[in-house]
Amino acid sequence: MPVAAVVAAGLLVAFPIWSAPWESSRYATGILRDMLVLAILALSLDLLVGSAGMPSLGHAAYFGAGAYAAAIAGQRLGSDDLLLGLGAAILVSALLAFVIGAVAVRAAGIFFLMLTLAFAQMVFAVAFQAADITGGSNGFSGVRRPMFLGLDFNGPDALFHLVAVVFLIVLLLVWRIRSSAYGRALIGLRENERRMRALGYDTTRLRLSAFVLAGAIAGVGGALQAYSIRFVSTNDVGVARSVEAFVSVLIGGASTLLGPVVGSVVVLFIERVLPSFNVAFAETVLGLVFIIFVLAGRQGIVGLARVAYARARG
Amino acid sequence: MIETRELRREFGGIRALAGVTLTIAQGERRAIIGPNGAGKTTLFNVLTGELAPTSGEVRLAGEDVTRLRPHELARRGVARMYQRNELFDPLPARDNVAIAVAAAAGPYRPFRAPPATELLMADELLERVGLGAQRAIPARALSHGERRQLELAVALAQRPRVLLLDEPTAGMSPTETGRITELIASLDRSLTLVIVEHDMDVVFRLAERITVLHEGRVIAEGTPAQVRGDTLVNEVYLGKVVA
Repeated sequence: MPVAAVVAAGLLVAFPIWSAPWESSRYATGILRDMLVLAILALSLDLLVGSAGMPSLGHAAYFGAGAYAAAIAGQRLGSDDLLLGLGAAILVSALLAFVIGAVAVRAAGIFFLMLTLAFAQMVFAVAFQAADITGGSNGFSGVRRPMFLGLDFNGPDALFHLVAVVFLIVLLLVWRIRSSAYGRALIGLRENERRMRALGYDTTRLRLSAFVLAGAIAGVGGALQAYSIRFVSTNDVGVARSVEAFVSVLIGGASTLLGPVVGSVVVLFIERVLPSFNVAFAETVLGLVFIIFVLAGRQGIVGLARVAYARARG
Repeated sequence: MIETRELRREFGGIRALAGVTLTIAQGERRAIIGPNGAGKTTLFNVLTGELAPTSGEVRLAGEDVTRLRPHELARRGVARMYQRNELFDPLPARDNVAIAVAAAAGPYRPFRAPPATELLMADELLERVGLGAQRAIPARALSHGERRQLELAVALAQRPRVLLLDEPTAGMSPTETGRITELIASLDRSLTLVIVEHDMDVVFRLAERITVLHEGRVIAEGTPAQVRGDTLVNEVYLGKVVA
């Protein structure tokens, strides 16, 4: 298994190289890059939705904050250092998640969902109004592509390599978190908060820590998004992006490692690839797929595959 | 070990606790009995910090813990076996206990796998409550009796100084009742036990002292023999059960 995983990781990072002879290589590289960026957002969201049972519907706020932070820090400081951009993204999105989370984690279930949505709408309004800093409705254009250790990520292929490597690091990180004592405590929180308190866990603090951690990882995704399209808009903090991530988690399979990744691939395939095959109403198709999973397959693709695999083995 | 002074708790106009004063020594085994609605579970909820008292004071080993939250009391050594099991239903029995064992070290270990010692301790505890063979079974798939045993293992995993047992034998068959009663009787003598129980055989088997609650007040307290001979107690409670 580890060998297969390393080979798969290598193939992923090298995708632009081995797909080069293919006519649509450039196009496919772009789509795959966006899938990986969405997957980072969905992986971070699943720590809340899947592991900890905290259904956030405003996760794009931290993604967008990361995107703006990386773009603005690069421009204001006249630097294209990758670590500076990612550092600014992590710092700003974690801080934002801390401030919002300090209030939001006191509610649970549907109330938590409504609070995260409301706060994200406030962040959207600020991004829209503060046009001097964010570009407002025109968006923030001319984001500098980053440099790291003398490597220039200016070309589309180089940028893809960067996105793929960061995605793999995030995937590894989330895998470690999920199998750690911390990850198990998050599941305890989801399953029985009263028991967790009675055991001596400060559940409010635990929920806040998960919210900040997920926010920081989402911020990394946002920074990569800004580098990818060299543009940040209010769409990146908007509710549509939050829903996209949420749907990815549910379709792929909440509380599974690969579910959010599979879900992101499926969602962007429907949204971006189907229209190019002249399939009309791609958004409607996505809606239908989502409804089918909510009604008949709540474990998502990865969850259902697991059940099928277990059954096949007897 | 536990002292309460004039504990009162009201819900709307209803007085669940109307001034309860108790002193329970370290290592003592105390039963709290009384008819339904006497305030037994409310008392437990106040002792674990899940409910704040309207007035009065709770002391744990001399420290005023009246306004502490449940996790703060848990860290000071108060554990509870709930009347209705509070378990992590989809998780295997072993993980239920392991999360409890891990509470002492805290959850902020995000990048390392839980140490093997935690699982070993969990297995030992499961062995001890008679669930050694069921460790891989999800809590929700266990029988009612087994779930009570698991609930006890989870509480013991905290290595408590004070263990509150809220109807440990509720809903159990006579065989299961006998087994869990002996298990509780065999616990370390330094552990302070407070037991709420309706089964008087269990109460007389486990308790050194008995407190009788009625309408939120202590109406009698003493050794099992004294309580058995108390006419008021017989009238409001024992008479109905034993006779």
